[in-house]
Amino acid sequence: MTDTTAAPSERRVPVWAEGLIGQMLALLIALTGGAVIIMLVGESPLHVYTVLLRGAFGSTENIAGSLLQATPIIVCGVAACVALRGGLFNIGVEGQLYVGGFAAAWVGFTLNLPAGLHVIVALAAGMAAGALWIALPAIMRARFNANEVVSTILMNYVAVLLTSYLTIAVFKRPGGWSETEPIAETAYLPQLLDGSRVNVGLIIGLALALGLYLFLRFTGAGYAVSAMGSNPKFAAYGGVRVKRNILLVLLSSGAIGGMAGGIETLGVHRRFMEGFAPGFGFDGVIAALLANGNPIGVVFAALFFGALRKGSLLMEVETGASREIITVIQALIILCVSAQILIRHRGGISGEKRWKF
Amino acid sequence: MEILSQVFTISLIAATLRTTAPILLVALGGAFTTKAGIFNIGLEGQMLMGAFFGVLGSMWTGSALGGLFFGVTAAVLMALTFSFFVVTLRANEVVVGLALNIMAGGLTISLTKAIFGVRGSIVNPSIVGMPRIQVPFIHDIRPLGQILSGYTPLVYVAFAMVFVVWLILFRTRLGLYIRVTGEKPEAAQSLGIRTARMQHIASIICGVLAGVAGVHLSLGYIVMFAENMSSGRGFMAVAVLIFSGGDPLKVLLGCLLFGFADAASLRLQTMGVSSYLVLMVPFVVSLSALFLLSWRQRPRIIRETLDKLTAPVVAKGRGS
Amino acid sequence: MAADVATDYAIEMIGITKRFGLLTANRDVSFAVRKGEIHALVGENGAGKTTLMNVLFGMHLPDAGQIRVNGQQVDITSPQVAIGLGLGMVHQHFKLVPSLTVAENIFLGMEIVRGGFIDRKAQAAAVRALSVTSGLVVDPDRVVRDLSVGIEQRVEILKVLARGARIVILDEPTAVLTPQESRDLFRTLRGFTDQGMTVILISHHLDEVLDVSDTVTVLRDGAVIGTEPAKALTEARLAQMMVGRPVDFGRKERQGTAGAPVLTLSRVHARDDRGLPALSDVTLTVHAGEIVAIAGVDGNGQTELAEVVAGLRMPSFGDIALNGHDIAGAPADIVRSAGLAHVPANRLVRGVDAQASITSNILMGRQNTAPFAKGGMIRWPRVRAEAAALIKRFDIRTQGPAAPVKSLSGGNMQKVVLAREFTQGKPFLLIDQPTRGVDIGATEGIHDEIMRRRAEGIAILLISVQLDECMKLADRLLVMFQGRVVADLDPLSATTNEIGMHMMGASQNRKVSA
Repeated sequence: MTDTTAAPSERRVPVWAEGLIGQMLALLIALTGGAVIIMLVGESPLHVYTVLLRGAFGSTENIAGSLLQATPIIVCGVAACVALRGGLFNIGVEGQLYVGGFAAAWVGFTLNLPAGLHVIVALAAGMAAGALWIALPAIMRARFNANEVVSTILMNYVAVLLTSYLTIAVFKRPGGWSETEPIAETAYLPQLLDGSRVNVGLIIGLALALGLYLFLRFTGAGYAVSAMGSNPKFAAYGGVRVKRNILLVLLSSGAIGGMAGGIETLGVHRRFMEGFAPGFGFDGVIAALLANGNPIGVVFAALFFGALRKGSLLMEVETGASREIITVIQALIILCVSAQILIRHRGGISGEKRWKF
Repeated sequence: MEILSQVFTISLIAATLRTTAPILLVALGGAFTTKAGIFNIGLEGQMLMGAFFGVLGSMWTGSALGGLFFGVTAAVLMALTFSFFVVTLRANEVVVGLALNIMAGGLTISLTKAIFGVRGSIVNPSIVGMPRIQVPFIHDIRPLGQILSGYTPLVYVAFAMVFVVWLILFRTRLGLYIRVTGEKPEAAQSLGIRTARMQHIASIICGVLAGVAGVHLSLGYIVMFAENMSSGRGFMAVAVLIFSGGDPLKVLLGCLLFGFADAASLRLQTMGVSSYLVLMVPFVVSLSALFLLSWRQRPRIIRETLDKLTAPVVAKGRGS
Repeated sequence: MAADVATDYAIEMIGITKRFGLLTANRDVSFAVRKGEIHALVGENGAGKTTLMNVLFGMHLPDAGQIRVNGQQVDITSPQVAIGLGLGMVHQHFKLVPSLTVAENIFLGMEIVRGGFIDRKAQAAAVRALSVTSGLVVDPDRVVRDLSVGIEQRVEILKVLARGARIVILDEPTAVLTPQESRDLFRTLRGFTDQGMTVILISHHLDEVLDVSDTVTVLRDGAVIGTEPAKALTEARLAQMMVGRPVDFGRKERQGTAGAPVLTLSRVHARDDRGLPALSDVTLTVHAGEIVAIAGVDGNGQTELAEVVAGLRMPSFGDIALNGHDIAGAPADIVRSAGLAHVPANRLVRGVDAQASITSNILMGRQNTAPFAKGGMIRWPRVRAEAAALIKRFDIRTQGPAAPVKSLSGGNMQKVVLAREFTQGKPFLLIDQPTRGVDIGATEGIHDEIMRRRAEGIAILLISVQLDECMKLADRLLVMFQGRVVADLDPLSATTNEIGMHMMGASQNRKVSA
């Protein structure tokens, strides 16, 4: 093959800054698009954005509320990141969140254990449920090279329906509402601030993000996963057991997603109910895509989305805009980032990615 | 068995055809993008846009046809956005499809609140739904009449589309170029076929059919719009496309399978099985089908014996 | 200059030069093809034949020179222009769509349409008519996927004829044909020239070339060695022209004899990705302190051989032992720990992670072992130091260890791979196309490094399509042809004619009668 020589590129802007600038630009475009939509629904963008900011950061309670909303997104984001760095898409975080939340709740209201142990066992149950939930798509991908995107998405629907069924038909709290019995106090995740439900889960989430970062950066196994995500042929050539790693990466991703559900149950709701934690899983996936798989970046993206969510609650009260407007803005951000990320990579070897089923 | 005879009736066949229609339409739309070599996961969002704007259009124009027009236009706009990002800007198909699905969800709910002031669903007497069509003569012949007559027009359209899509894909130049674009783009390009343009066209056609599917959902049997109305049918269509490869006949079979599972499980609901479990059935069926298919197509390792190796080689073009 | 010159020549290429970066593929090439003749263009890998024809067919623009078609000077800026001038090219790798029929493939892009639909009957009839005039019989309604390679080629030729070609170029047409199919092809080509068409044939199958062509032009290293009538040539003379070198290859000086066997392959068979046999009954041994080179034209099983040895492909039969360990079918990490270091043929696909830094790339394969890792954790300062040391030692032109590998030139990227693999202290080195896409200066350095490894007692299996590289470095020279090892030669005593004939399969009794 012929070779075109390229001089070593001059870097005036370091790589990480280049990415950041691109993401800021994407954010700007998305906010502009959001403004257009806001005008379409008959509100003033300036007013809406101000209310959003106020709702997210306007008072200590609001900031706490933003952190509360961000917590599950952080954990789900880390879950999605794990998969993304390995070159895989786990869109099933939402489903893993639900089954994990239910499993933790079940341990919470069924078993009798001393305080610290109860929490640990409940969280472990959540993780196990999450891993179990992704097992089928994971095996299909690892052994048969079957695309994991559709299978994980379909599992989401089953998860929501299954947990609803279990909540309403099997474990329903007598008294009429669509929720289970409350979990035992010994299973509570301790709260961090008085007057807010921000709990230890936030710390867990941050620790997970840090842990993932350290894992990818400093361990041999993490290096192998990164290589696999970047160039699977190179990883295989270097001796990485790709099939086994795919399985492990996806199972871990599912387990962390399940953990997110456990945290929501044990720290916030203290029971399982229908409409348990809608959309946090998807928010986590979007945060991971926005951060391009970087665990530290995911934390910031998740905090941002958490703030958006909290702000949107106030927005819905004080303006005519419904809180789903922020969903549209999130989607716009991802669209802009998706185009931008690949423009950056275009200088490299691979052009299009061909999907094999 | 009594239960079986209760479940499997003529009306079940009719119900199957009814429930198959929307997923068949959207899967046929996705057949074009699949054949063009694009993994289009945005079918769900396109359907939703069709459903929402179908209702809007119906109210604004006072006719179901007007609703159809608006619904299809909305879905096509979303499809064009998809192909712009994926084909022109070379962004990742999964990310873009996902983003557009999320956007569709958020947009429809926001606009519902903005225009109607309510959350959740739009129920309004001024929505004009589709009429039932009584096919003359056949309608009175039992049991055939029950199976072939009395549906809303889009059900007939859905099944007719199987043939139309087959015609386009396999008998016209456009379909040929789309297929070649997906199967061997180098061959297409070396002969002057513009593959990017073919992919855009495929996306537009997909949008049209997905839009029609959406309109059927909201103006067909249930005349209303509900949050996330498409409830995963777009993803089931993707599953169908994965194992049918976009071939219209296989798509039909796959969709009938899901339509049947859907309709049969609804029967179960009337017999007291929890609605949650019932709703799970189509998804479980899709997942099982995906699993079975990938198991059958798994990469195999060849181990040979000495006898096989020393047997005379039947030349398929390789030198002796 | 548009005068209609009456001329004997269908094609004249005058002073064509074509460069790709630092590589000069065609160097002031001039040759002419008479009307109505079969003209063969021969040379080994990298001689520049395909590039020259790609220039003729409008896929590349030449850096210098001019082209005349039927006496008129033309600028061929795209394949469409070439087709318009009556040129047609049958590529080595077919561009047929497997799920379409023969007729659909032939008419792709120029379908016969009636009433909005493709008129399949008319297309089939047209194909049958074309079959009659050309002598190439095909069934228009058969699906290409089901066809044998020989019939596929007929379809490709018909594609070209259907677009009105009068000058047909075929790139390595017999590479995938059986002797019988080759005979049929040549009969067809003779039929073409009887009708006044002109044929240009790119090939390196010497016997076939001499049997069918009227004139032969030999290319070597991008330049024309000579143009002579086929009648005046023999296989031996041709081989000599193709691979002939000055007596002194620049063969590297060496000392010492080979030690104990390190790698042994025994009756190894393997299949390629399509399930077709790629390796047949391969048996070879590489000893410590010895360079065994595998020469041969690309596509004769070398790729699969490397993959099988490196643990990246399962052999379907046979034994492989490395350093006393049985590694047939073992995964890549096991093979590496048994003692393999591997320089892969395609560095961008397999050898590097282009997005990552040099430091990160240096680590691959050793991320769990000392001295770069301890207790599962990577000691990056150590890796960085190693990367910096290697950059210096191998003279890698870069800004530093943190530079992303994609910012490096091809040659420097290759040096990163070599630096990583050559310094692992493994007893066995598998080196595949070490100097592909690398300039002359770096090539010398790489060859010296290989010789140094040999002096350290490392067993080296070198795979290269560049024969002079093999001759320079090898202690023993193996030649592969169609998945078999067809020769085991001493580079000091083997003649280039002999080697050439092995490479072209002439030694395999593939006589094609005229």
